[in-house]
Amino acid sequence: MLPDDINEIDATVRAVLRDVLGLSQARVDAFRSETPLFGGLAELDSMAVAGMLTELEERLGILIEDDEVDGEMLETFGALVRFAAAKANR
Amino acid sequence: MIDHYDWAGGREAMLRFGPATGPVVIAAMPLFEEANRTRAFIVSILRMLAGHGIATALPDLPGTGESLTETEYASVKNWNKAFSSAVEFLKPESRPVHAIAVRGGALIDSTAPLASRWHFAPVAGEALVRDMLRARMAAAMESGETIGAETIAPPGPPIELAGNRLSRALLAELEHGVPSNEPPLRTVRLDTDTLPADRHLAGAPLWRRSEPGSDPDLARLLADDIAAWIATCAA
Repeated sequence: MLPDDINEIDATVRAVLRDVLGLSQARVDAFRSETPLFGGLAELDSMAVAGMLTELEERLGILIEDDEVDGEMLETFGALVRFAAAKANR
Repeated sequence: MIDHYDWAGGREAMLRFGPATGPVVIAAMPLFEEANRTRAFIVSILRMLAGHGIATALPDLPGTGESLTETEYASVKNWNKAFSSAVEFLKPESRPVHAIAVRGGALIDSTAPLASRWHFAPVAGEALVRDMLRARMAAAMESGETIGAETIAPPGPPIELAGNRLSRALLAELEHGVPSNEPPLRTVRLDTDTLPADRHLAGAPLWRRSEPGSDPDLARLLADDIAAWIATCAA
């Protein structure tokens, strides 16, 4: 994967979290790979998870199967970016 | 002002703004939880249209808003019928009636006798069902409950999805629902949405926010776009 691709996916995941959860740009800019998401971010409730996955699909042109959605890929910001990157490069 | 319209299944409330003459815009709200999240935003657009000299109407549909019908008795077919009746109610005032529909609202303006249709971020019913089912799955990750497509398949009792009790018949109807494409039609989407549209605008998908918000800049751009579209239709 080219560095540009992963940077673009990282930026897209941040933008989706900002737009779907209504977070400030400063707050999502501060996310690190180990920043906890599901269970760690109060704004990310189950409805928001659904919205976030759909927005990721639309913006990255990927399709996420329901059986791929688990606690692991939602655990941290880094895990979500890795999941999205793996999808986008398939 | 709060007005009412009658349809075959009863009487529903309809919010109205703007002048008593000239074109009327009738709005079809997004469906379910998305309606709660965008109501303030859509009402702000309707108020801005009044500033353009365009009257607006926002009908409650059976099973939504202040309706006395329980949401579990709602159906796409009845929403289309009720929306058509609301349009007919506005027509005897000898005014052209234009529809604006947001998200799933674009599934319910298909049968109404309209001068034109304007859609913002229209979505197929299948995507809405998928979103609601996913929310249920995400909630189940904590409870350990097993949720899948078979969870909502008919026959069976109404099912709680994303905060609403919905009939399985309605969910099955939605699975086949696609936005109307009867011309004259104009479609506007957010610039993050890759689907084709007449115009793409910058903004955030407010229908996904758990805290209802508004976006005055986007509302202004959309109101101006609607006003220009209606002027084009009248020309």
